[in-house]
Amino acid sequence: MVDAVVTQAAIEMSVEAVQASQIGMKALAAAIAIAGTGFASAWAELSIGSAAVGAVAENKDLFGSVLVLTIIPETIVIFGLVVGLLLIL
Amino acid sequence: MSAIVGSAPYIYVCTRFRVRRMKLIPQEEYLRMLQMSLPEIIRLIQETEYKREIDELSHSFHGIDLIEVALSWNLAKTYQKVLAIMPEGLREMTESYLRRWDIQNVLSILRGKAQGLPPGKIKEVLIPAGELNRDYLDKIITCAEPEKVLESLKRWRLFPVLARELPRAAESGSFSSLENELYKQFYHDILEETGAGIKGGKEFLEFLRLEIDIRNLQTLFRLRVNGAKGEVVTFFIPGGTFTVEELVRLHEVSSPDAFFDSLTAQLKSRELVSLLGRFRQKNGLAPGTLHEIESALTLMQYSRLEMMARFHPFSIWPILAYIERKKQEITNLRAITRGKQAGLPMEQIRNYLVM
Repeated sequence: MVDAVVTQAAIEMSVEAVQASQIGMKALAAAIAIAGTGFASAWAELSIGSAAVGAVAENKDLFGSVLVLTIIPETIVIFGLVVGLLLIL
Repeated sequence: MSAIVGSAPYIYVCTRFRVRRMKLIPQEEYLRMLQMSLPEIIRLIQETEYKREIDELSHSFHGIDLIEVALSWNLAKTYQKVLAIMPEGLREMTESYLRRWDIQNVLSILRGKAQGLPPGKIKEVLIPAGELNRDYLDKIITCAEPEKVLESLKRWRLFPVLARELPRAAESGSFSSLENELYKQFYHDILEETGAGIKGGKEFLEFLRLEIDIRNLQTLFRLRVNGAKGEVVTFFIPGGTFTVEELVRLHEVSSPDAFFDSLTAQLKSRELVSLLGRFRQKNGLAPGTLHEIESALTLMQYSRLEMMARFHPFSIWPILAYIERKKQEITNLRAITRGKQAGLPMEQIRNYLVM
């Protein structure tokens, strides 16, 4: 009888541990997704931003076009954010 | 991380020069200018980016002289601005490349002095884009004798060559040998500096070799067309893909067909082979075609520069492409204005344009 109660308690504990671990893993995956895409966006924007500033310094009329080009890599981090939210929610 | 972030200044500067390159006068504009009268051309130039220099100099110069000096000033200012925004590494390479203007300026002063021109007239043709700045050059212009000029250039890095060759040049009255020796030393120094393993040096070295080859080929054609005999080894610049011995051997080939065959066999560039083929089919190496060949070689150099600038967008290539194209713009504008002033026919002026 005592053995059965102990086994039941152990099973419940391990289920809780697994559930907690799953939540932790999801959070970690979401963090990796957001951090990875964040770095990717930053890297892309470094090049595009430098080129954009250079182009605008010579020709102010290019501001509109280069602004759009600079914003495009932001979509990468938005994808990361969406994946992170899907994982957590 | 620093390697990634470190590329940002290169990207910034190279993009600026790509945009500047787009702002240079296009081919259609030159063709339009050829149809215009001289006052119309001058008015058109005044409305472009040369306006500021023209306004600054309009008190001291007039007419075509004003345009000529304004173009030189603009070129010098442009090159100084190029250096001002250059990141470390690229700046050193560009600075060393622009030192070639020192040779041109010193030779202009010496030639002007030898011909007894007044300092004001010599000043008009100077382009202080190299190491010797405007004030320094102004000081040299005021020296009355070539010996005094030599003395005031003691700090110049090419002074030993100048000191060695100037007495001979003054004696013979010809500065061509001095010019050759100065350029040889310039290319020797710049190749040595570039070979010292600086970042981006490989691309720069490739460009320098291309430039030396183009200069040597132009010299080779000039020598052949003019039928130069005797010791020609001193005319060629070492350091290109062709050795001086190969160039001398090519010069010594007597038959025009054999000359074209041996030259084509040694060429690695397909563009050059097709260019030579065109001239061979046309009329060989007649004196009239010399200028055409030289222009075609220069144009080929530019197209290669631009191709390399596309392959290596964040290197020294886009900057060199801009520097060379800007220089050519000034040369073209001068050719058009001077040609119009001399009353040359449109076709003849067009032949002098590289576009």
